[in-house]
Amino acid sequence: MPYISRRPPPSLSTLDGKRIRDLLLLQASPAAKAHAPTPPEIPPPPRRARRGAPGKEPPKAADRSALAAHMAAAAVMVSSAGSLLAMLQEPAPELKLHALASLNSLVHAFWHEISTSVSSIESLYEDEEFDQRQLAALVASKVFFYLGELNDALSYALGAGALFDVSDDSDYAQTLLAKALDEYAAIQSRAAGEDKTMDPRLEAIVERMLDKCIRDGKYQQAMGMAVECRRLDKLEGAISQCDNLHGALSYCINLSHQYVSHREYRLEVRTFNLDDWDYKPCHTIQLLILQCLVKIYQTSPNPDYLSICQCLMFLDEPETVASILDKLISGSNDDALLAYQTAFDLAENENQAFLLNVRNHLDALSSARSDADSRATNAATEPSGDVQMGDDVNMPNGTALTVDPVKVAHADRLTKIKNILSGETSIQLTLQFLYSHNRSDLLILKTIKQAVEMRNSVCHSATICSNAIMHAGTTVDTFLRENLEWLGRATNWSKFSATAGLGVIHRGHLQQGRALMAPYLPQNGAVGSASPYSEGGALYALGLIHANHGEGIKEFLRESLRNTSSEVVQHGACLGLGLAALGTADEEICEDIKNVLYTDSAVAGEAAGIGMGLLMVGTASEKATEMLAYAHDTQHEKIIRGLSLGIALTVYGREEEADTLIEQMTRDQDPILRYGGMYALALAYRGTANNKAIHQLLHFAVSDVSDDVRRTAVLALGFVLYNEPEQTPRIVSLLSESYNPHVRYGAALAVGISCAGTGLSEAISLLEPLTSDVVDFVRQGALIAMAMVMIQINEPYDSRVGAFRRKLEKIILDKHEDTMSKMGAILASGILDAGGRNVTIKLKSKSKHDRLTAVIGLAVFTQFWYWYPLTYFISLAFSPTALIGLNSDLKVPKFEFLSNAKPSLFDYPKPTTQQTATASVKVPTAILSTYAKAKSRAKKDAESKAKEKAEVAPPPSEDTSASTSMQVDGAAAEKKAPEPEPQFQLLTNPARVIPAQEKFIKFLDDSRYQPVKTVPSGFVLLRDLKPTEAEELVLTDAPSTAAGTNAPAPSASEQGSGAMAVDEEPQPPPAFEYTS
Amino acid sequence: MDPKLTEVAQLFARFKAAYARNDLDACVTLLSQLKVQLTKFPSLPPLFQQTPNAVEELKLARDIYEHAVVLSVKLEDQDAFERDFCQLKPYYMDTCGIIPPSPEEYPILGLNLLRLLVQNRIAEFHTELELLPVKALDHPCIKHAVELEQSFMEGAYNRVLSARQAVPHETYVYFMDLLAKTVRDEIAGCSEKGYDSLSISDAKQMLMFSSDQELHQYITEEHPEWEIKNGSVFFQKAKESQPCKEIPSLQLINQTLSYARELERIV
Repeated sequence: MPYISRRPPPSLSTLDGKRIRDLLLLQASPAAKAHAPTPPEIPPPPRRARRGAPGKEPPKAADRSALAAHMAAAAVMVSSAGSLLAMLQEPAPELKLHALASLNSLVHAFWHEISTSVSSIESLYEDEEFDQRQLAALVASKVFFYLGELNDALSYALGAGALFDVSDDSDYAQTLLAKALDEYAAIQSRAAGEDKTMDPRLEAIVERMLDKCIRDGKYQQAMGMAVECRRLDKLEGAISQCDNLHGALSYCINLSHQYVSHREYRLEVRTFNLDDWDYKPCHTIQLLILQCLVKIYQTSPNPDYLSICQCLMFLDEPETVASILDKLISGSNDDALLAYQTAFDLAENENQAFLLNVRNHLDALSSARSDADSRATNAATEPSGDVQMGDDVNMPNGTALTVDPVKVAHADRLTKIKNILSGETSIQLTLQFLYSHNRSDLLILKTIKQAVEMRNSVCHSATICSNAIMHAGTTVDTFLRENLEWLGRATNWSKFSATAGLGVIHRGHLQQGRALMAPYLPQNGAVGSASPYSEGGALYALGLIHANHGEGIKEFLRESLRNTSSEVVQHGACLGLGLAALGTADEEICEDIKNVLYTDSAVAGEAAGIGMGLLMVGTASEKATEMLAYAHDTQHEKIIRGLSLGIALTVYGREEEADTLIEQMTRDQDPILRYGGMYALALAYRGTANNKAIHQLLHFAVSDVSDDVRRTAVLALGFVLYNEPEQTPRIVSLLSESYNPHVRYGAALAVGISCAGTGLSEAISLLEPLTSDVVDFVRQGALIAMAMVMIQINEPYDSRVGAFRRKLEKIILDKHEDTMSKMGAILASGILDAGGRNVTIKLKSKSKHDRLTAVIGLAVFTQFWYWYPLTYFISLAFSPTALIGLNSDLKVPKFEFLSNAKPSLFDYPKPTTQQTATASVKVPTAILSTYAKAKSRAKKDAESKAKEKAEVAPPPSEDTSASTSMQVDGAAAEKKAPEPEPQFQLLTNPARVIPAQEKFIKFLDDSRYQPVKTVPSGFVLLRDLKPTEAEELVLTDAPSTAAGTNAPAPSASEQGSGAMAVDEEPQPPPAFEYTS
Repeated sequence: MDPKLTEVAQLFARFKAAYARNDLDACVTLLSQLKVQLTKFPSLPPLFQQTPNAVEELKLARDIYEHAVVLSVKLEDQDAFERDFCQLKPYYMDTCGIIPPSPEEYPILGLNLLRLLVQNRIAEFHTELELLPVKALDHPCIKHAVELEQSFMEGAYNRVLSARQAVPHETYVYFMDLLAKTVRDEIAGCSEKGYDSLSISDAKQMLMFSSDQELHQYITEEHPEWEIKNGSVFFQKAKESQPCKEIPSLQLINQTLSYARELERIV
């Protein structure tokens, strides 16, 4: 699809030094074609090559002579066009004509000669009496094309009229068509006030091309061009003529999401009349396309409600979505399944405001209906029935309950769908999945714990943090329970962090979150229950548990905030409130936080700044100016930093709207505010790959005087580019070699952020050298970034993962390593195995929508540079990698499906064994280890010799393990003859499906359950083909029992035979040792 | 024989007849008809199609254009000469191997060289010369032109002027006459550079004019910027001192500063 990947080359006109220019060259200039005499600056772009079709029509008159010339060329060829040019000067018009026709066919060879006398050809074109002006125009156009004057070439090509052949396959025709399209699109996209006069000839050419594409069946090209040129009539035509309607529509949706959003079309105009779109300026092209699509969808015989609702979400039409959902849940069982699926898909995009609206409309709809029903039945007896409409939602449902079983089902479905939309269902299911599939490796933690020095509080709290991340969302707190005494060494802010870590572990445990944290929470009246640090930490933990779903906890947090005067507790409460009320812009909460801010206490003020930002995410409200003003007033750097990040959060996703504020911040005297400006740029243009933003960031990265600003500017690139992770390593590769360690650090994190969870090879290659940088904090950043990139990638998939794990272990065990990089390594081990090895970092949802919580989470996470407790924000970016099939009761039935790849490729990493742990303890005594090594080598040699004698053929080595440095113990290999690894694997619902695995997922045709929508991950509603049979359910609400403080949580070492035992995992491999 | 070819051949015969009886007007009309007819042959340049009559057609066309060149000399029309010669050239350059070389080739090439010399287009003269094979330089027509050019460059104008007597071909006379004027222009140009002023008699002698009047006429036509006063010709006005070129200091300073700034920014 050449169309999508296309984007305007960055403008390079400004003078920021060659280096920046090089950095900005996102697209390598296509190599000049060898055969063409074209100057290199006008490479005939091959990108359009597929667009204008090389239709095999009979060549036109002009071309016929060209053809003849080529045929004769083998024999004799003129050496110069001089004779023809001379003939052009002849007075007789026949001679001129002959000369022109000949020139037209020879222009590709002699354009350089003709160019000197192109003026005479031009004058021929301008000569009104000359009857072949079009031919003259064509020749002139070709000459200008070869000279690289595309504008002139185009204007003469337009003059050539019908002689300019759109189906021509030459470089000339293709380049000019591309140029014509660009021109046309540029004129079409001009805003209302500007000059929009359209050359009718240009329009004619573009239309000819569009029609031709449609005629030739090149629908995708036609659609792409139509979108770019804002010709929705053609778009509709292309879609409706396309034989593969569904393919065309999904392609079109992709186009509108990926390509159109690049073009900064704003979604300002919300209402639009479809009938007169012709007459309106097309700056809401995306809306138009989507509306166009919705129209086509709705007219199609079996509408694809999933896609319609996705479109409608972008159009922000909750009413329509609600009515569709309402229609579906009133229908058959299958329809209800479809409704649930739609709701899950919508909920995944985390657009809280929209989802809330849909829920409200659903309520209104159903109450209106049951109201109408009850009025029909009770009209005579209950004349006051109409007043209850909208007043009491439960009442109509309540009456319906007694009336009709159909209505009972409807009410039941309504509750379910509302729960799905509110996100509760998915949170709960996710929690159950993460709990039951937790495969975190406690040995790693144990190793870290033993290696870390007692007095080193940085590493101590990093270990606690690492544990929290490893068990994020799993509710498994075994490690903490087993090491309570060790845990107790955390004092002051470490205590704060340790308590907050519980929030990460229990993330999403909405029902019991508060009960879990109760021992640490501030008690009204009761003094001395705990230190303010653990109280504050507990409030922060509550926020983390309820992040973005804080309806139930907001009030409690507010209460706590108001009732305390301790700045540590205030700190925790502000962060907690911000998280729980993420993006709600609640006025009252805002007032409370502001009061804390105005106490001008450094500790509380910092959190208040961030908290306000979280509360106001993406609102671009007036509050930002207020915050900026206070940032200028206050003396405390901490508060300024908190506020500047907060301001940055408010402009999330606002793109150009935020430009004034960004300008204000980036021009400020105070480096901390400029630093905030970098974040504002990052968040406002998150995932847009906007050239202007990239340009600005690169400029600051190399020109600002403050290291902090430079570091942040580079880091911010990661946010701007996360929709195109392949680009980032290339753009920051030079910066990663900078002399300035801050810039290197930023480059590492930028790659980590934008390539998170991709395992991208280029990203790993870029980070690898940085992990052994000379500066300790660069190593720290690189280790963390590497872990983010490699999350969920295992060794058979990329052998460098194994090397990285070993490197982490080495750094942690090394006594002489700097604290900074040690801390990085500890955190990296946590991130690498985050969420019980069942989550990844995902900044975009499946429907390419930005995941607000995740982006915000990562942005605040990067603040750990200044404030370690903020590390926990990374948990917001985690998203479970699971395929969870659900039946119509939203329960998880037993169901199998196929992963069409070698199991080892996507398996959990093998658990570390006790042996490596003990071996690593022995490492310091160098003599012993060499001795042991030598001994083992000798032993192995002897063994292999013996074996060779015994059996002639050596045991075949497995292909995957051969590439790694592992070596299977000879004895074990003899016992267990290595079987060839199967090429597929049956997975049982719910299963871990990591992103790289998604393309291998197949659903079995003969299964009892059929998916409503064949998606390879996330929540999938299953249609039960044998509804009468009893269902076997898995995933009961296990975590709630485990949550009870007395129930022992399963330790990771027994996970293989764990309570759920739903996975038929292969047995752990025999013992092995590292030989490297 | 192809009827079209016959037709053209007949037309060409009529042209030659008219040419022989020196009816130049008839020649011009016939010639333009001939040229139009020639465009209908695909075997001619630039197409060079392999038709059965290609050789005859090419020969005929070459003959026609050779006559056209000679005719233009006779008409003393330099533009037409250039046009016709350019159209004739592919027949000399690109048809080797198809038709035998023409006996008129070197005289006409020499004529063209002479024309370039007359028009003082020395660069093109040498380009043309380079295109010729080495043995062609021995041909008297070419040799004549080359020698003329050498004398011309040396400044041996007397040799140039005396060469008129030794023309290798009668058509050359026209250009030799024109050459005298070219020489005069050269001399005028040199004098302008060499002297501040010249007395009228010296100027007359130098520019090879027999009377003062001719000199006056020449000056008013060709060099109106010259001034005649006190019995002398003053070239001063033409040599108004050109403004001394300024050193672009500001630009250089800016450039250096921007280099320094960019060096700072290297990351």
